[in-house]
Amino acid sequence: MATCAKRICKLKTGLWRLAQDHLPTNRRVFPWRRLSLCWLSRTRRTWPEMTVTQPRFGPGDSKEAAELALDDAEAAEVPAVSPVIRYEYHVLYSCSFQVPVLYFRASFLDGRPLTLEDIWEGVHECYRTRLLQGPWDTITQQEHPILGQPFFVLHPCKTNEFMTPVLKNPQKINRNINYVTSWLSVVGPVVGLNLPLSYAQAASQDM
Amino acid sequence: MTDDKDVLRDVWFGRIPTCFTLCQDEITEREAEPYYNFPEKDLLHCPSKDAIEAHFMSCMKEADALKHKSQVINEMQKKDHKQLWMGLQNDRFDQFWAINRKLMEYPAEESGFRYIPFRIYQTTTERPFIQKLFRPVAADGQLHTLGDLLKEVCPSAIAPEDGGKKNQVMIHGIEPMLETPLQWLSEHLSYPDNFLHISIIPQPTD
Repeated sequence: MATCAKRICKLKTGLWRLAQDHLPTNRRVFPWRRLSLCWLSRTRRTWPEMTVTQPRFGPGDSKEAAELALDDAEAAEVPAVSPVIRYEYHVLYSCSFQVPVLYFRASFLDGRPLTLEDIWEGVHECYRTRLLQGPWDTITQQEHPILGQPFFVLHPCKTNEFMTPVLKNPQKINRNINYVTSWLSVVGPVVGLNLPLSYAQAASQDM
Repeated sequence: MTDDKDVLRDVWFGRIPTCFTLCQDEITEREAEPYYNFPEKDLLHCPSKDAIEAHFMSCMKEADALKHKSQVINEMQKKDHKQLWMGLQNDRFDQFWAINRKLMEYPAEESGFRYIPFRIYQTTTERPFIQKLFRPVAADGQLHTLGDLLKEVCPSAIAPEDGGKKNQVMIHGIEPMLETPLQWLSEHLSYPDNFLHISIIPQPTD
């Protein structure tokens, strides 16, 4: 675990910062114990995309009218009103499951939080089938173990299952991998956190 | 008759069981608050039964991850998980325990669970709870007690402060003896989610 802590600190690529909870303690805390009290956090924003509003056609509209309406819409290029959403991601370590866990929350700029339904809606198409098999087993809301506030959580119970083959292969071909980077590249995209390739390149340059 | 203040204090701290009735002139007609902004950022809003069921099941899974590396709960079928929830929801003790007893077993060659699922709640800190890995049995085979757990993960709870003001260590509203083996507490005094929820309460000042 001590080496894991060193690797996490090196994950300074981009906008991650290492947050640490300073609790009063009389005893010296060993480095791997401290791992359970700090977490990685990152925020990002989604901006509205420019889209063309499609006019709605009533049952009585003729074909010519429809074509005319479309032309007007193309000329106007009015952006659809879609709000900016602020995401905050935290990476914590679960001592119960002994794997990292992704906690996140999302809100509009005015501070209104997104609901669980909003989050499920926002999951990308390619993960939708898996999510619908068991939405409540995949993304739920829980209390952040350190901050105490409600966060959405990606369930950690399957993490070992998909990480084991990832860890086995590099040993065969003698390649170094960073556990957290690999894990995050799998789970992040499900909830809108896409990891650029530079993370992997930085990891393979380690040691 | 003793001082009214003392009686009220005993009632407040639950030392005298009571039944209150309001007399007619104490009842006022008041309109309910029309708006209530639920503090979404601070509290978990449970919008449906499904949300509560999901939360309960994820606590169960976490408890079994600690006790049995998730082996027992993963071997169960979906209907067993459903039975746990329905038993709890409908207050059916036998229905619930028919399945829960499997989560309270451990292999014959072991002396207990792998780790004990517990959470300690205190009023003196911002942190929501303390949860750490803790084995029920020491290296020499001795069973760890509740006192051993507190000494290790929350020493301020049992260390006497200035003036000798001690804390109350409560589970289910009662104070178990600190010498109680933790394995026994986990098997018999856990909450339905299989966690021991331990509250550290300052001794009420009289």
